[in-house]
Amino acid sequence: MATDPSRAADEALRLEVQADLDASPELSRYRLRAAVDDGVVTVVGEVETWDEVVAAGYLAAERRGVREVVNAIRAARVPPPVLEAAWPAPGPPLPGWVAQADVVVIGAGVIGAAIARELSRYRLTVVVLERSSDVACGASKANNGMVHPGIDPEPGSLKAILNVRGNALFEGVCRELDVPFTRDGFYGLTLTPEDAAILPLLKARGDVNGVPGVEVLDREELLRRVPGATPRATGAFFCPTAGMTSPYKLTLAYAENAVANGVRLFLETAVVGLDVEGGRVTGVRTNRGPIAARWVISAAGIYADRVSAMTGHQEFTIHPRRGALVIFDHQESGPAGASVGWFGLGMPKHSKGGGAMFTVDGNMEWGPDAEEVPDREDTAVTTEAVGQVVDKFSGLLPEFPRNAVIAAFAGLRAATYKEDFHIAPSRRAGGLIHVAGIQSPGLASAPAVAEMVLDLLRAEGILLIERDGWQPRRTEPPHVAGLPQGALAELVERDPAYGRIVCRCETVSEAEVRAAIRGLVPATTVDAVKRRTRAGMGRCQGGFCGPRVAAILAEELGRPTTAITKEGPGSWLFAGRTREGGLT
Amino acid sequence: MKTHERDLIVIGGGPAGLAAALAAREAGVPRVTVVERDHELGGILQQCIHDGFGNFLFRERLTGPEYAARFAGRIPEAGVETVLDAMALEVRPGPEHEVLVSGAESGLVTFRAPAVILAMGCRERTRAQLLIPGHRPAGVFTAGTVQRYVNIEGLRPGRRAVILGSGDIGLIMARRLTLEGVEVEGVYEIMPHPGGLTRNIVQCLDDYGIPLHLSTTITFIHGPKRVQGVTVARVDADRRPIPGTERHVDCDTVVISAGLIPENELSRGAGVALDPVTRGPVVDDRLETTVPGLFACGNVVHVHDLVDYVSMGGTIAGRGAAEYLAERAAGRTAAGGAGAAGEPVVAGEPGAVAEPGVVDAKREWCPVEPGENVAYVVPQRIDARRAAGRPQDRPVQFFLRVREPGRSADVTMTGRSPGGDVVLAHRRERAVRPPEMVAVKVRPDSLAPGVTAIRADVRAKGGDGDGR
Repeated sequence: MATDPSRAADEALRLEVQADLDASPELSRYRLRAAVDDGVVTVVGEVETWDEVVAAGYLAAERRGVREVVNAIRAARVPPPVLEAAWPAPGPPLPGWVAQADVVVIGAGVIGAAIARELSRYRLTVVVLERSSDVACGASKANNGMVHPGIDPEPGSLKAILNVRGNALFEGVCRELDVPFTRDGFYGLTLTPEDAAILPLLKARGDVNGVPGVEVLDREELLRRVPGATPRATGAFFCPTAGMTSPYKLTLAYAENAVANGVRLFLETAVVGLDVEGGRVTGVRTNRGPIAARWVISAAGIYADRVSAMTGHQEFTIHPRRGALVIFDHQESGPAGASVGWFGLGMPKHSKGGGAMFTVDGNMEWGPDAEEVPDREDTAVTTEAVGQVVDKFSGLLPEFPRNAVIAAFAGLRAATYKEDFHIAPSRRAGGLIHVAGIQSPGLASAPAVAEMVLDLLRAEGILLIERDGWQPRRTEPPHVAGLPQGALAELVERDPAYGRIVCRCETVSEAEVRAAIRGLVPATTVDAVKRRTRAGMGRCQGGFCGPRVAAILAEELGRPTTAITKEGPGSWLFAGRTREGGLT
Repeated sequence: MKTHERDLIVIGGGPAGLAAALAAREAGVPRVTVVERDHELGGILQQCIHDGFGNFLFRERLTGPEYAARFAGRIPEAGVETVLDAMALEVRPGPEHEVLVSGAESGLVTFRAPAVILAMGCRERTRAQLLIPGHRPAGVFTAGTVQRYVNIEGLRPGRRAVILGSGDIGLIMARRLTLEGVEVEGVYEIMPHPGGLTRNIVQCLDDYGIPLHLSTTITFIHGPKRVQGVTVARVDADRRPIPGTERHVDCDTVVISAGLIPENELSRGAGVALDPVTRGPVVDDRLETTVPGLFACGNVVHVHDLVDYVSMGGTIAGRGAAEYLAERAAGRTAAGGAGAAGEPVVAGEPGAVAEPGVVDAKREWCPVEPGENVAYVVPQRIDARRAAGRPQDRPVQFFLRVREPGRSADVTMTGRSPGGDVVLAHRRERAVRPPEMVAVKVRPDSLAPGVTAIRADVRAKGGDGDGR
């Protein structure tokens, strides 16, 4: 495919990358081999550990001119991934199934959902395919909810451009979609005089990226503004545009609004192959049958490289980087305010280091950390990770009651070795657009990513005609918690099921659970109900409401309670009924 | 929105609330209302279908529902109003306290009453609070939730279970699951001694050949979708896993029985001072909290080992509320005075309470303090003069828990008075263990010489007190 001049460039690049691998004190003994095709470096060979696999990938990505890295190195001491998803079993087409679509979006995380909603403005048949039982089941449910200001990414990178643009769009999007959003800013604390000295450089980067209102603060000003901050701080920067949202509520709202505007969303539907004819994608194959499509958008998160490989030519590798988050009881969290994090030259190279922030529900939340893991489903929380997160942030906020933890969880960032977003048409299959490598600040960038994908589609020649009666607004169903007494009384008057509280910790009513199950993107699992209503998110972590939610799910879905799952196939809750004669 | 006037609102229709409501009626309180979130009375007892309840109070071995029926059955004839399937959302203190209640049948209503008894019970410690590392798969349940699934909903939570923590509910569920055909691989307890009652260890584990592994804990839960097993390891004296002792256990279910926490969201919202040790309200000899007219009993105050004691506490609170209402009616408390809600105090400084609502002689609190080998004592303070004036058949009931187990232990309540220290009560226990409460009564006449402070001590001859 490549022309002669580019073949020469590829060969020059190959020599450089090979030389780097051969010169690496850590890796040279493994005699790894590099190949380059169209600017994409593929590295092969065998090393001992997973960290060495990752190190080789980063080394191969360093040279100027490397567009992406495909890392095919095996690690002798790492067993093959055991947790990686068994794809959903073959099944019949779902109600509303179509054999043909204009656009198929793979993945219903925040990115896929935002793109689908953007596409729903136009007269197109749009299908979204999601392998999980709900939207937002990957990184979109396990990130810290921060809407980053855009000061961290390298100037000129896609991350920088889309983050700053996305951040600016956030208020409007959240207003239209009735999603919680707060903009309380972010303080990045320095702990040494040297780090404080480079704060002006950081502000300069923010200015170049177009981040509004960045301030550099001395120690006294910081301690005045953030009374709980450590007195060891030497200074700080402040970004007033940093915000917080609920990542899964935003994803759900995007998806619901898309569905309201005619997009078809099929859950528990996995793409198992792409049809490519004459260098152009013609459709997708799923566990429920094929769908012909003129354009395919891959927003497949942690599996985006697998989709790329389905063309026969993989264009990049995704390596999972795990991050653990720790959540505190909101009663112990104190009044919500700005987020706080650490800034310094000793920061890990590929992570902004997380933060201590308030979720939109008022819980203090710390993290995430960053850890490379070989298995794409390994969201385990380890003692070490929680310990690191707690130690780090209690160092920044020494007076915070660190024992009031109510939950810890982890998610996986879908990182490429170039560490930038990879948003581009495939160079191997026309009509396929990769929206890959979306990790932090992916949430903040989501609205801008959707805009960019539409621009790419236009450039690819899609015909976009606005749909009549497109409805930009979506309304969150009522929630009992926090409702003024008068409004609550009215609601209960109208529907007594709003008076029956099923979750005492978070004050969630039966009516809210039923509304979640009857929604445009229906909740069909206990966790899906939890994300929509908060039932089970409180101090008792579902001990009280779990049985009630399972019973309501069974009733609404017309299934036996024993068929209700926590989070889709495989996550069964019950092994069956008790012996005959049990109390019911 | 409707507002109903009552004399006493009891929040919670479990053993504590039912005993309190009945006692208040017997003491002549006219309009008593019990608010219960379930569709029947009895609280957690309804799912406790094993026997052993009422040994102490009725000299019988009743099941939970049978025990509950002893009280619930008397509710209609006693003239106690019940509001079922309804949750108290908020308690607003004032000269007349207000309780905001939400229910499918009742709608959103306010009950107004000068006296309220908090009897909401407790909740279980969760996996998250224990910070057990690993995946977050389906199949990790608290013991009480499993009990509800099995005994009420008729659902079997798994096929092969391990139990983390040797609290009583976990032990009972080990037996219950075994009887339901679930294989219980073992019980893992991080402490060097069991968390539950000795009789439960014998009857629920030993009798069924279920091993109890002390000083051992779960260090990893394997998933990611349904539990695939756990890693267990022995722990050192500081409860840290000992490297090299890890062992994989195949199972699909993890049952967590690692303690209970008093449920005090409503109390907190009402401005009641909480004791950081019991995690329940600071209460006095009639189980009145630091907010006048707000009483608390049962597992809201501290987690009990026996339901009989819970009922006894309910009776004390019910009588206490009646006494309070009578004082009020006699004009000895100022109804409607500003600040009648009282001022929340910091637990641990019980002597420093200001009670603007009370216009009789300035109330002097006699603090009750844990002494040697005592983790806590409830009540945390008493009005010694008031208590001394009661008939001799209404002693002050103290409950305490020891820190360390011991054999032939002397339990002593010592009063400080102007004339020197006096022994208010003494009893000898064959064995004391942290999971088992010690009950001590102090006769009113022993408080007569003007006791200003009380201390509880437990001096054991030694041994581990594990009287098996």
